[in-house]
Amino acid sequence: MAKILFINPVVREEDVPRHIPYGIALLAAIAMKKGHLVQVYDANAHRLPLETIVEVCQADDWDAVCIGGLTTTYNYIKKACKLIKQAAPKAQLIAGGGFLTSMPTEIFKWLPEIDVGCIGESFETFPAVLEKIDNKDFDYSTVLGVIHRDLTGKSFLTPVRPNIHDLDTLPWPAWELFPLDIYFANSANLFSEESFTSKRRMDINGSFGCGLTCKYCWHLGTTGDMLIEENEEGENDVVFTYGRNIRYHSPDYIVSMVKHLYDTYDIDFAAFIDENLMTMDVASKGTWLKELCAKWIEAGLQPTCRQKGIPHDENCKGVHWNGTSHAGLHRPDTLKLMYEAGCTHLVYGLESFDPYILRNLGKGSNARKNKQSIATCLASGIKPIPNIIIGFPEETFESVRNTINALIELGITAKPHFATAYPGSEWYYAYKDSILAQYNGDLEAYIMDLGDASKITATISQKFSPVQLLGLQQIVYLKELRLLDLSEQHWAPVQQHLSPVVEPKTSFNLRPVKEAGPLAIKVG
Amino acid sequence: MSNLLKGNFTTKKEVKKPEENTEKDSTQQAFKKAALNSIGGSMVYVERTDLTWDGEE
Ligand code: B12
Ligand code: SF4
Repeated sequence: MAKILFINPVVREEDVPRHIPYGIALLAAIAMKKGHLVQVYDANAHRLPLETIVEVCQADDWDAVCIGGLTTTYNYIKKACKLIKQAAPKAQLIAGGGFLTSMPTEIFKWLPEIDVGCIGESFETFPAVLEKIDNKDFDYSTVLGVIHRDLTGKSFLTPVRPNIHDLDTLPWPAWELFPLDIYFANSANLFSEESFTSKRRMDINGSFGCGLTCKYCWHLGTTGDMLIEENEEGENDVVFTYGRNIRYHSPDYIVSMVKHLYDTYDIDFAAFIDENLMTMDVASKGTWLKELCAKWIEAGLQPTCRQKGIPHDENCKGVHWNGTSHAGLHRPDTLKLMYEAGCTHLVYGLESFDPYILRNLGKGSNARKNKQSIATCLASGIKPIPNIIIGFPEETFESVRNTINALIELGITAKPHFATAYPGSEWYYAYKDSILAQYNGDLEAYIMDLGDASKITATISQKFSPVQLLGLQQIVYLKELRLLDLSEQHWAPVQQHLSPVVEPKTSFNLRPVKEAGPLAIKVG
Repeated sequence: MSNLLKGNFTTKKEVKKPEENTEKDSTQQAFKKAALNSIGGSMVYVERTDLTWDGEE
């Protein structure tokens, strides 16, 4: 059996570690179930000097070292890969996750140390790669869903691997391989009173995918949103689409997992990391969340405060939870049940209140629904957490004014994120040329610059430059319509004479068609 | 000192987690965190009591 080491890269260095990496924890559980010998070094939790990797790599004779995460872990992964190859030259270096799937060919060019990468969903690809390694067979060309190299270092993508059919066949994540005390110490967050007082929060995942097509969002190539096709040069490349294989765990799977976490780790809070709970609920014709809430209560997970209708305090028992919602898809009766079962807050990606921006965004919401969603959610007792963005391609003084007016009307104070084109998203492909121009042609420099969109990297706004966007962010935060009017008086006449700051293009890597990538045939 | 690695077998060598650097470090850390928090990031706050609008237009 293969001896494998997982390294969880540092993410969001400026904040404390808050999330056990769900993907890695699942893959570790799958590998152990297959009989492999597994260790995890959670660099994100420990935050030790980078060189600790050397010691970790020399702790045993690893057959494989595995690393992966979202795009913003690239900086860490780049440095880590160098050290891993030096310290464990005999181990196969396996990569996976969003940083790789969004741009596999570029990553393989930039990181020559990586031997093989899992593209998209890895529940079956990863054990297939391990099996090869176990057999000392390093020819990965027959494994579906990977990127690999020939002896000259040139990379190749194999055809896409079908998504698994039944999520409930997955084991629970291997939480026990992570330093839980560190994560528990950072349980509290500022989203609701209950999450603020949480002492033992853990993430859970109920579903994969989201039926909507927001242009800034991406579905990791794990949700039927990815094809592998030959590009103009005749080489296989990733193509992201509007296709989706909507899959969700049964309420029984989720509730028994949370019950296990409650009984074993005494958790007081479960944070759903699902992309969008409401699109799943719609796919189930409105039954999934209702059933989940009923089973949550039945299993004794309902918090005391909700059971007794009393204010939440330190003596509350049970498990509170949160998730993601959608302004056009949430239903008051479902929200009410969610509140009763212990839901404390729901994140709403409202993004803007401008009709034109919303129409172009792919979110399936409009200004009226966005406004109404806050009241509907508040009425259920659940706290809405709206997310706001500025710097959309179509942003104008008028659109910013529409957003500020709505924020004033709704009593929301928000410091908006800047519209950012993360690799994999529609924006990324549409504006790649403009992004390159803003980074002197150095795409890697852009990737290394990406953070959490609270700073400007490359702008994709057709009318506003970084100087104006920074000012507009402050104006939205302060809800200062007077300053907005002054800025408009000063700039609008000039803007008429300027050519657009950036322009969209079509791209091989993005095909706006609804046809989903392959899904495995149901077995049994 | 605890083992930095967690897994389903015992590794040939143990990798010890260095002891936390006492009070000085934690004050430094706390200060850094507080300072960074006060400077930036994106944030959002919904004032429940501010809401007079009932959702109907
Ligand atoms: C939790 C989370 C976070 C956590 C980090 C968690 C962590 N430790 O990595 C936090 C809160 C820090 C975070 C922050 C951000 N996030 Co985030 N986040 C998520 C979220 C909600 C869940 C991730 C997850 O666990 N998914 C479930 C698991 C099973 O999937 P997975 O991790 O992808 O793993 C699968 C495969 O990718 C693969 N895999 C993953 N790792 C590895 C490793 C190896 C070795 C292998 C072989 C395979 C492999 O195998 C798994 C099974 O198929 C996703 C959305 C989602 N629901 O997936 C967004 C998501 C990953 N985030 C995203 C973004 C954009 C961000 C932010 C930039 C947002 C922002 N504007 O601030 C910030 C980055 C901040 C920063 N400075 O770095 C994007 C990713 C875009 C990209 N190109 O990578 C996503 C997809 C959201 C979206 N829909 O657009 N995020
Ligand atoms: S609704 Fe949310 S998860 Fe769905 S596409 Fe839009 S941003 Fe992504």
